[in-house]
Amino acid sequence: MKGDYKERMRKKKLMLIATLVLVGGALLTLVFQSFTGAMVYFHTPTEMVEKSTDLVGKKVRIGGMVQAGTLKRKEGTLEISFDVTDGETMIPVYYKGVTPDLFREGQGVVVEGEWESKTLFTAHTILAKHSEDYMPVEMSEEAISKSRENILKSLQ
Amino acid sequence: MWIEVGHFAAILALVLSVTQMVAPMVGIRTGQLAWIRVGRYSAFAVFGLLTIASATLIHAFMTHDFSVTYVAQNSSLKLPTFYLATAMWGGHEGSLLLWAWLMSFFIAVAAWKHWKTHSVSMPWVLMILGGVTLGFLCLVLLLSSPFERLLMIPPDGRDLNPLLQDPGMVFHPPFLYLGYVGFAVPYAFAMAALITGQAKDEWILATRRWTLFAWTMLTTGIVFGAYWAYYELGWGGYWAWDPVENASFMPWLTGTAFLHSIMVQERRQMFKVWNLFLIITTFSLSLLGTFLVRSGVLSSVHAFATDPGRGMYILGFMAVMLLFSFGILVWRSEALKADNRMDAVVCRESTFLFNNLFLLVGAITVLLGTLYPLALEAFAGAKVTVGPPYFNKVFIPVMLGLLLLMGMGPLISWRRAAQGQLKKNFVIPAILAVVGIPIALFLGIDHPYAIVTVMLIMFVGSSHFIDFKRGVHSRMQSGSSNPFSAIWRMVGRNKRRYGGLTVHIGILVMCAGFIGSGMFQEVQTVIMQPGDKVKLSGWELTLDRYHKVRKDNWTATEAVIIAVREDGHSVTATPQKRKYDNHEMETTEASIFSYFWEDLYVVLGDRIPGRGWAIKAYRNPLIGWVWYGSFIIALGAIVALFQGRRLKKTQEAN
Repeated sequence: MKGDYKERMRKKKLMLIATLVLVGGALLTLVFQSFTGAMVYFHTPTEMVEKSTDLVGKKVRIGGMVQAGTLKRKEGTLEISFDVTDGETMIPVYYKGVTPDLFREGQGVVVEGEWESKTLFTAHTILAKHSEDYMPVEMSEEAISKSRENILKSLQ
Repeated sequence: MWIEVGHFAAILALVLSVTQMVAPMVGIRTGQLAWIRVGRYSAFAVFGLLTIASATLIHAFMTHDFSVTYVAQNSSLKLPTFYLATAMWGGHEGSLLLWAWLMSFFIAVAAWKHWKTHSVSMPWVLMILGGVTLGFLCLVLLLSSPFERLLMIPPDGRDLNPLLQDPGMVFHPPFLYLGYVGFAVPYAFAMAALITGQAKDEWILATRRWTLFAWTMLTTGIVFGAYWAYYELGWGGYWAWDPVENASFMPWLTGTAFLHSIMVQERRQMFKVWNLFLIITTFSLSLLGTFLVRSGVLSSVHAFATDPGRGMYILGFMAVMLLFSFGILVWRSEALKADNRMDAVVCRESTFLFNNLFLLVGAITVLLGTLYPLALEAFAGAKVTVGPPYFNKVFIPVMLGLLLLMGMGPLISWRRAAQGQLKKNFVIPAILAVVGIPIALFLGIDHPYAIVTVMLIMFVGSSHFIDFKRGVHSRMQSGSSNPFSAIWRMVGRNKRRYGGLTVHIGILVMCAGFIGSGMFQEVQTVIMQPGDKVKLSGWELTLDRYHKVRKDNWTATEAVIIAVREDGHSVTATPQKRKYDNHEMETTEASIFSYFWEDLYVVLGDRIPGRGWAIKAYRNPLIGWVWYGSFIIALGAIVALFQGRRLKKTQEAN
């Protein structure tokens, strides 16, 4: 009788461990599955042009500066277009909506969206400090210093 | 002059924290109590000295002493007085000092309160907490000193970051820090228990209130942060899975797991190693939170300083702490065999086990999403982000699992649940859960996750109600005929249990808020000129005019919008676009009207030349429930906090 009880306990313990492993495993699978699907890569405009064929239709982020003199608004609408530059390459961006507080010409910016064709990038979100998301400051700083280097190079 | 006094006090505190570390060790070696007492008095002195140091820094802010670099960077002549004192924790240096000060306060309280009751652990507790203080004070004094002077004294300071000129900043960081630092005491007691080999239940009893207190503060801090984001950031949401938000969420998840699993140790003497692991992890994640936010590794809304030296220092500090803690845990784990074994699959112990599993998977999820992009950037140079889609996808199932367990817990008995009893207990909650489906559909909820959430809210709510009713019923049978006095006595006798169940109800209310605001938020973005109207389900907004406003240290463009609800109720919304004198950036000030069922949230967007401004209007249903839920949680936690050690004694008597 006692041995029977022990045997039953052993079975129950095994069952508990099996459930734990099963539930834990399922959850971890969910974690890793979602993870690979949700990564958004960040590129500079130059990289965008280099890898343009691979990137068409994918969600990416571009970081750089809003090129001075390129910010245009379709009159009386929320539609704007501007060029994002890293000092080497310029990418024309189209965006419709309210821009974050820090957005203006000559400022660093990160835009998230899609390359629809290889010529126009449609931004769904403009990221800057204090908007829906954070702006990776060092990314735009990097782009700015790179463009400075380029200007110096061309002067020499 | 005063700031030098403060600086000197902080240096002295650093020296004394070494004494606090070393003296108790000498005391144990030589067996002389006097040395341990020296450690104790050092702890009191460190607190006194750091109080002086913090006071001088606040004094420097109040007197506009711009010769202090930190003041010059975070204040200005025109900064309102209210923010002058709180600017002390507006930047990196000062907030670390605040951390150290809170820490020293807790150590002093622990040294005073537990001195007699836990004389064996005390020397070790003093040593470990002295070490943590030492580590923090080195960081404050060597790498990020708020006491530094400027050679050229500027006539005016650079002003506080406009985002921080807000009551939210006054409460959010201190509460978070109270939570982070609060976990240090349970951590120290756990380590002391491991070292002395008395890792029975004593440390848990000693630190249960500390843990609960830290958890309550952390919860409040996180909710304050969410509320601040809601009304200050101007995008109508409260949680963005920003790495900095995640940093405070991780210790919350493991801390919640710890709060549950210590109950199993108290009642059944199981999960001992597990509990030690959880508290070490929780405190480490608290440190990691500070590391992530304050080292500049993450560039985000909250990260104002970028200094790799600090990052490396905190990383080293954490590495030492982790190696020390987990090293001792592994070395000692042999001595920690559980006294009991799990008797059955279906029992309250196993609901706690699964609760821990879910919470831990949640913590791993957040950790992965927060650190993986950093690691990838450091090692592969590629820059990625994993945004809200990832977190939402993983987190909602985890949350649903937790809700299910939450509903089962109270109605399953310890050790082994009899099948007949199970059936009896769960019939009504299960029926109500099914009734949740038509209710959800009737309310227009069609997303499967949201329907399941409604079902689980019904399930958990009814299971908690049944549990409560049963308790009252049995009390009434055993004498007290008045239901109110029965309730009063029942809750009073078992504050911890009913406090905990109240916290659960608060979480249910919050979940309703998540569903409402997440699924039914409505947004209208329109360009408006005076006289223009826009409709937003049940509301009609009419723009009256734009005008300029000037106050304190900012000017603003303000829109005056009359909003009329279907039933005739009308309000005047005045969203602003502010420009602070000393800053380039503009800030958006939302105009919010909160009602029981919904919030009306209006933001002023871009200026459209010739056509006025873009106006963004949100209707956020049930969002207030997120905040009401947090009140209920705080209330429940406070009730539970009132329970001392009596529960254990009555159980032993039984």
